Amino acid sequence: MAPLIEATGLVKEFRRPRRDSGLTGALKHLVTRRFDIHRAVDGIDLRVGEGESVAYAGPNGAGKSTTVKLLTGILVPTAGEVRVAGVVPHRDRIANAKNVGVVFGQRTQLWWDLPVGDTFELLRDMYRIPAADYRRSLGRLTEVLEIGPLLPVLARKLSLGQRMRADLAAALLHQPHILYLDEPTIGLDLDVKDRVRTFLRQLVADGTTILLTTHDIGDIEEVCGRIVVIDEGRIRHDGPVEVLRDALASASSVRFQLSASAPLDLIRERLGDAEVTAPGERELVVRFDRTTRTAGAVAATVMGLVEVRDLRINDEGIADLIRRIHRPDEVTARSGAA
Amino acid sequence: MHTLRVYRRNLGAHLRATLEYQADFWILVVAAVLTQGAGLVLIATIFARVPRIHGWGVWEVVLIFAMMVLAQGTSELLAEGTWGLAGLINRGELDRMLLRPYPCLLQVCASRVGMNAFGNVTVGGGLLVTALLHLDVAWTPARIGLALVLLPSALVIKVSLTVVANSTSFWLRGAINTFAAGMDQLGELTKYPLSIYGVGLQAVLATALPFAFIGFFPVSVFLDHGRLAWIGLLTPAVAVYCVLLAVTVFRRGLRRYESAGN
Repeated sequence: MAPLIEATGLVKEFRRPRRDSGLTGALKHLVTRRFDIHRAVDGIDLRVGEGESVAYAGPNGAGKSTTVKLLTGILVPTAGEVRVAGVVPHRDRIANAKNVGVVFGQRTQLWWDLPVGDTFELLRDMYRIPAADYRRSLGRLTEVLEIGPLLPVLARKLSLGQRMRADLAAALLHQPHILYLDEPTIGLDLDVKDRVRTFLRQLVADGTTILLTTHDIGDIEEVCGRIVVIDEGRIRHDGPVEVLRDALASASSVRFQLSASAPLDLIRERLGDAEVTAPGERELVVRFDRTTRTAGAVAATVMGLVEVRDLRINDEGIADLIRRIHRPDEVTARSGAA
Repeated sequence: MHTLRVYRRNLGAHLRATLEYQADFWILVVAAVLTQGAGLVLIATIFARVPRIHGWGVWEVVLIFAMMVLAQGTSELLAEGTWGLAGLINRGELDRMLLRPYPCLLQVCASRVGMNAFGNVTVGGGLLVTALLHLDVAWTPARIGLALVLLPSALVIKVSLTVVANSTSFWLRGAINTFAAGMDQLGELTKYPLSIYGVGLQAVLATALPFAFIGFFPVSVFLDHGRLAWIGLLTPAVAVYCVLLAVTVFRRGLRRYESAGN
């Protein structure tokens, strides 16, 4: 079966004006214009099959949202090809719009000054949703998302949680096959987050293909079957969420504060397959597989070789794992702070 | 037809939203009346001293003026949203319009209703009727037909030029488009007979930025006024040209759109 979303060698470059700060900088820019080329997306190949639910993860500025904008036709790629359900989104924007729904967590799609119900009716007209389908669709969404009381309210008067539910309904009124979500749970409280995730799981079960970008591990674990990790515009990891979770179940680490600098080579020799790193001069992190050794054994080994002032045992979260995939140094630094 | 219906509904929804601010509504209606009133006082003052300007009598000038005001009101009613285009681009808000299966330009146009539209349409319409009653117009079928072609063409030209002026936001990228405001001000010059200006300015207002086809030229041909009255017959052609120009410039610009953020 041909993939529903297909991107090949996707590249997006932005031209950013280079300008010194302050008024003089601004004036200088008027005369001599200089630009930097910024490559936000750098050769991405992505295939998503029908009914898949894919998490698109990575640090801020990695190119996640830019990819979504390329896939939805908002941006025209600098190079490469996109096809979504057989349509090239930026070339045939209107045909593509009918196949997909999009939710941006940070920005509403509702008309700011209109009551939510008016927005829905406008969307019905724009998407040419037949009256019977509209009633059914609206009825179902109103019930599941509990937005009945919100219909007469102006969009700008909604709380963030209410807005997100109304936004979800707006994106799904025309019953798209594909739903893109850009950080759908950002800023939501735990209760609303839960409701949104339950709703998304239901959609996936009903056969909707979902691609969501997120920083939230809960979104990934609870909604998605596959995770793609991107950094600096490139895909660094692509695989089932389960595999990642299994790796997690067995991953553990011990962090030591030492009185003197550590004899790294000796420790490595004794601990065999465990990963030993020294993030600071008197610091040591040992990562090991819980199924083959215990934290106690690791601690005893290290204590036998060097004087230990303090130690801490952590189980790694999926976030650490994602970060470790592409930024080994940063992980050690951050898990230290945690 | 579907496209037009959606446009009307979109506009209607925004109109309802706008009308909730009653005070704003009345203030802007009064403001429009006062602004255009000042223009009329100017015309009255000039004609109190001279009987004709370049062969144009007072009611003839009022007719040009009326066309301009009516066109301005129409543009405020149908395309006020384009004045917000610079902000939409700047804040990346065209994204949501690009995600809907409906022409982006029409969504931009309908995204706002100019409240002075009501004042300007009323004042413009009123002046138009008054001027026509004072002028000795022979209403032959041919002349009625001419009027029915000229009026909508003139309105279309005004709306299209507003779109062109604001579409420059795609290139200028400021949060407010001062160029568009400047261009609009330049157009205001054509509220008076074109022949009072220098040849260079006349040429610009007749060709590159054909504001003169909103009031001056259509009125010239309608009243059969002056040697160059025939140029007014080009008004419908200019209207078609302006629409194509507006659509082309907007589309070109849209290709440069880079959203906001990452």
